Amino acid sequence: MFHNIGQKIFRIHFYAFVALTYVPIILLIIFSFNDSHRVGFPLTGFTLEWWKMFFSDASAMGAVQNSFLIASITAVVAIAIGIPAAFALVRHFFRGKNLITSLVVLRLCLPSVVIGVALLLFIRVVLDVELSKFTIILGHLLLAIPYTILILMARLIGFDRSLEEAACDLGANEFTAFRKITLPIIMPGIFTALIVGFIISLEDVVVAHFLSGFETTIPVLVFSLMRRAYGVPLVTAMSAFMVAIVMAGLIVSVILARRAART
Amino acid sequence: MGNRRVKMSIFKKIVSLIRKREGLTIAFQLTPSMFWILAFLVIPLAFITVYSFGVMRAGGWIPEWGFQNYVRLFTGLDGMYFKLLLRSVGIAALVTVCSVAIAYSLAYFISFRVEKYKYTWLILLMGPFFISWVILVLGWRLVIGYSGLLNYALVQVGLLSEPTRATWGNWGAVVLVLVMGWAPWIVFPIFVSLEKIDKSLLEAAADLGANPIKRFLRITLPLSSPGLLVATFFILLPIFGEFVTPALAGGSGGMMYGNLIESSFMGWPRWPFGSAASVTLMILALIIATALLRVVRLETLMESL
Repeated sequence: MFHNIGQKIFRIHFYAFVALTYVPIILLIIFSFNDSHRVGFPLTGFTLEWWKMFFSDASAMGAVQNSFLIASITAVVAIAIGIPAAFALVRHFFRGKNLITSLVVLRLCLPSVVIGVALLLFIRVVLDVELSKFTIILGHLLLAIPYTILILMARLIGFDRSLEEAACDLGANEFTAFRKITLPIIMPGIFTALIVGFIISLEDVVVAHFLSGFETTIPVLVFSLMRRAYGVPLVTAMSAFMVAIVMAGLIVSVILARRAART
Repeated sequence: MGNRRVKMSIFKKIVSLIRKREGLTIAFQLTPSMFWILAFLVIPLAFITVYSFGVMRAGGWIPEWGFQNYVRLFTGLDGMYFKLLLRSVGIAALVTVCSVAIAYSLAYFISFRVEKYKYTWLILLMGPFFISWVILVLGWRLVIGYSGLLNYALVQVGLLSEPTRATWGNWGAVVLVLVMGWAPWIVFPIFVSLEKIDKSLLEAAADLGANPIKRFLRITLPLSSPGLLVATFFILLPIFGEFVTPALAGGSGGMMYGNLIESSFMGWPRWPFGSAASVTLMILALIIATALLRVVRLETLMESL
């Protein structure tokens, strides 16, 4: 009897928590259509004004463009830098490997704010470069590279090297073996690392906050708008847009994962 | 034809050269990432450390090689800065404990009670985390803020005569938002370690007469401890330097050390002082991280990504 009640409570707590985490997101979407200059209850009516404002606002559209451009470049470059490093760290033994591994992990040990201000000072004082999209990319690469290296390393550790050797025995040279055997096997890892790199860059507010000059990203713009003027409905439209993008991405990846699980 | 043969032989020579010199390959593979990490992480960190020992005068930064910034951090404003540091440690610890506890029960449910689509549930749980953190904080303001859903509902039902300000703009709101946002994110490492547990161990314990509580405490919990440590690692350190949530949800009573750093760089500029605060935060974070990484193996960390 008690056991059953306990089980039921356990079950309910799980679904309740999942539902609760989505309440803020649903409210954001609702308020982006609410016909009031004040973001808050009670709801007053339906309007598309904030979405129109969002799509015609130059700074908002610029931020959207910057966000996607920066995230794409970050993801691709982080992969390009991360793949060779992961190979070196998994396949070879050499002196100083521990030191290099701890350098990779270092970023995970530091709060982003420390990384942000250190880079800001370094860029402004030592390099004497103006802040722009490129400085944000520079910072985001720093955030993303350790993750891509670790994700690819995890994939490579489980890799059976005898497959490569077999290919070489059968007459393939090293590059063919890499292209036909290694690459397809680590492809899921590369795909995951790409997505992770993209998301890290897209959602980051801390590092981008310090490294953005006049060119901002969506999260940085939302942050500064929320700080200056609480309750601008434009912010809700911008947030709802970001929610829609991320959710669409998630749904696609769930569908892909299910399809992969079926085969 | 002959030309091609020459090309091939040069190609083969290069390949054999690379193959012979494993060191060269390794150097080639590691150079880009190490350059990036050294040039844009290690050197800037060293630079702010140097910077923190100077002062800002009208002409710019002057090296004084003294601890004046650090002395101010620990004793300045009647110890207010130091209190801020203690509060940050406290908030980070509280959020970590609450989040890990919640994440554990969620991960346990998915691992032991959900039969189908475990990974779909995991992605669904982590969904909100993939949206930018600022946006999530704005969303929570719509739930528990002054004109949020909770206040509105309580007033409508008649439990409150007017909306309360107690639910937003204090450290409690910061903790609540951080826990609700971060708990789903650390479900995954705990889930991974729970999935690894050989369920026959639990059956064996049951056969030998252990009750569910004992089975949990003696088998499940110890075997999932690597996941718990990774979860702690993933949440404690980022939250330690958090400034976005306190800036939006904390009011004056909910500020954290990250806000001190942020305002020293973005508000009224006092860069050497801000550098000193960053270095303090960095050293504390590195001590905690080293302690955690001593017990967590790198492989466990990688599996959880």
